[in-house]
Amino acid sequence: MKGVNWHERWDPLRELQREMGRLFDSIDPFQPQRHVRQYPPVNVYDAGESYILSAQLPGVAAGDVELTITGETLTMRGERKRSEGIRDDSYRRQERPMGRWTRTITLPDRVESAQVSAAFTSGILTVTLPKAENAKPRHITVTSGS
Amino acid sequence: MKVTNPSIRVMVGTQPAQTAAQGPAPEPEREVHRAFTPPIDIHEGPEGLTLEADLPGATENNLFIQLEDNVLSLHARIDLPVPEGARLVHEEYYVGDFYRSFILSDDVDREHITAELKNGVLRLLLPKSDRARSRRIEIRS
Repeated sequence: MKGVNWHERWDPLRELQREMGRLFDSIDPFQPQRHVRQYPPVNVYDAGESYILSAQLPGVAAGDVELTITGETLTMRGERKRSEGIRDDSYRRQERPMGRWTRTITLPDRVESAQVSAAFTSGILTVTLPKAENAKPRHITVTSGS
Repeated sequence: MKVTNPSIRVMVGTQPAQTAAQGPAPEPEREVHRAFTPPIDIHEGPEGLTLEADLPGATENNLFIQLEDNVLSLHARIDLPVPEGARLVHEEYYVGDFYRSFILSDDVDREHITAELKNGVLRLLLPKSDRARSRRIEIRS
């Protein structure tokens, strides 16, 4: 008996989100055709003061990615090249996606585009997008009008 | 960007830390929750096979490669790339573990398998055993 596993907390909302996504996928008649996954897959997190975007880009070096931000739109583009000098007929299996890619992501809020930073570690691109001042939740003091 | 590229040790046989009671999972303290099959490429060269696997998020510390009998398995435990408490607002991939296993043929020289990890891509070199190398047979007149 291990007790409660704190590493993976049960998050009912996240589970619900996932289940709803699955449900909508299952009633979509074009789902098989539409299942061409966008490359690269992207997750977006809300970390309070900023948004954090992470993208799975294995085999890509930091210099091979171009990031542009305009207003609430973030565009990433790059190219993933197959290793050179390997003949096509020597491949026994080819499952890894290769080639040019572009992705445009509309952010949920305004961000301070001048302070956006990006880091690349072991195949994961992490972009930190600080929220714009007016997009942050603000505390409003209620005064009594007596 | 400077990328350190240390070689990863390929475990041959069962790891000593893992006792028989715990089964095939390489880590005893955390069970495998969701394991994803990473995409791989395999190509053959004159020296042997090269296997490349996309393991975004894998580092030398969280990747376990094991060779037991003729089964080569890779297992990476991927941690969340964001600080604790960050709320997921859009999800296209699940952060979890990667697992895949392969059956090696007898033509692979098991003692000389090498592995390197760079930018989330694992490259395993599986050299041909001497027995499997093509040999020219001299015909004497």
